[in-house]
Amino acid sequence: MKQQLSPKINISLYWKCQFIGWSVAALYWEYRGFTRSTHFSWLLAALQFISDVVIYILLTHLYRNYALRHNFQNLNLGQLLKRIIPGAVVMGVAYTLATTVKLYLFQFWFFQSPVQTYADFFKQNAEAIFIGGTRLMSIWLLAYHMYHYAQREIRTSKENARLAIISREAQLSNLSAQLNPHFLFNSLNNIKALVIDNPKSARRAIDLLSDLLRTSLYNGEIMQISLRDEINLVKDYLELEKLRFEERLQFAINVDDDLVAIQIPRLCIQTLVENAIKHGIAKRKDGGLITIRTEKTGGFVKITVQNPGFLEAGDDGVGLKNLRERLALEYKGRATFAITGELDDIVLATISIPSA
Amino acid sequence: MKKLKILIIDDERNAREEIKLLLKSYPDVEIIGEAKNADDAKEQIDIKKPDLLFLDIQMPEKTGFDLLESLDNVPQVIFTTAYDQYAVKAFEVSAIDYLMKPIREERFAKAMEQLKVKSASKNDDRIFVKDRQQYHFISWNKVHLIESLDNYARLFFDDKSVFLKTSLNLLEQKLDESLFFRVNRAQIINLNYIDKIIPLPGGKLKVLLKTGDAPEASDRQSVKLKKLVKT
Repeated sequence: MKQQLSPKINISLYWKCQFIGWSVAALYWEYRGFTRSTHFSWLLAALQFISDVVIYILLTHLYRNYALRHNFQNLNLGQLLKRIIPGAVVMGVAYTLATTVKLYLFQFWFFQSPVQTYADFFKQNAEAIFIGGTRLMSIWLLAYHMYHYAQREIRTSKENARLAIISREAQLSNLSAQLNPHFLFNSLNNIKALVIDNPKSARRAIDLLSDLLRTSLYNGEIMQISLRDEINLVKDYLELEKLRFEERLQFAINVDDDLVAIQIPRLCIQTLVENAIKHGIAKRKDGGLITIRTEKTGGFVKITVQNPGFLEAGDDGVGLKNLRERLALEYKGRATFAITGELDDIVLATISIPSA
Repeated sequence: MKKLKILIIDDERNAREEIKLLLKSYPDVEIIGEAKNADDAKEQIDIKKPDLLFLDIQMPEKTGFDLLESLDNVPQVIFTTAYDQYAVKAFEVSAIDYLMKPIREERFAKAMEQLKVKSASKNDDRIFVKDRQQYHFISWNKVHLIESLDNYARLFFDDKSVFLKTSLNLLEQKLDESLFFRVNRAQIINLNYIDKIIPLPGGKLKVLLKTGDAPEASDRQSVKLKKLVKT
């Protein structure tokens, strides 16, 4: 909604500025003509006014189209200046040509007697018109680009602030998810029993739990990690939960070897797997199978986590809500996330991330 | 002395092992079974009649609370949970002992000690009822009056009451005959709470309870009540 509205407002502001700015300039020229000229003609004045406004709006509008088509709005300040300076000269030349032609034609039509050829007229007036025109065009270009540059700066800083908040939230919710009292204390209780029953497993569980805690305690500010690292983390998590759920938890991980180096949002798979255990495995007497797959399809990397269970109606939990937000911000709307209930009591969560 | 019969209910095997280990230092208890979900537990409770349950709250499909609600007579219960105390409070359970996993030995010992005190006042059949988001253990000894209300039975105890989704006829069959008496179509009284019985003209009886309630017995039940009081 917001995004749809903003260009509309900008366009109307742009046209307002164009009309008001050039009208004021044209009126100023009229005033100068009126005070200096000996034979002032209202008809000529009107034509001058209209032609000035139309021609200069047209010229600058052409420039604007060119700038938009070549993405000037996304350049940094240095790149932008490198284009604005020659741009002002080119626009100055265009201004000079248009203005001299116009003035010559008006002289021709209104005074009937071509006192001089266009070439002579041009030679006589070009320099002054060029200097004035370049100055005008420089002002126009600077105003136009600085306005958009400032707008963009404001927008990016707003977006960055938002992203920082989101990632902070993600970090916190991850902390509370991994240090989720239920998960943590059940794991500890499990380890306590294993110490007597199966000391080797107990030692392994402590290693796994330590690594998980380390990741959630110290890596909070990292936004993206490789698929390989994420899968390793998920494997640790699943191994630990397997010690707890035993035969009730089965898992299969099918990751394409070509994809292991791609960068993905940290903990995106982990969040889905945690969810799969909480809502899928833990709620079923006989547990079930969690399957993680990756796949490359048409410019996207698709990551799916499948678990037995029914999709519960209602809003996403904190974990999924955060995941959606992070995907939307980090990929500017090009990544998608969906969770669906399939046939045969299967819940399928899918993340699609643009590759490269 | 008769050993305390214990059933351990938890969906995680290692969590059950943990309880068994803790119970090893208690010679006067007997672990009569283990259950890994509520349905399994209900079956064993009905057959083996344990005195005490170690009960996990979060279990697949049915929670520990669901299990207790499904029982006609609830044994002693010690909840075990990995949730912190605030999360447990969110369940709004009052007067229930719960142990937080992992369980400290001294905390476990304290729970067992309290249990001995409680079981001194034995022979205390009770039910577990959820009423308006609040769970109650209700001892039948304390219920002085039961009234029928549409599809519900309203149980009066102390100065409170709860609704139980059952018909009075169904409930009457489950109740201890030496304790409860159906005075009319809509009311059952606890005989221990009778203060006075007043004969009314026409042969009917009016029962005054110690609590001040005064239900009137029907013709047929008045006859029965007269016999009952005589013996």
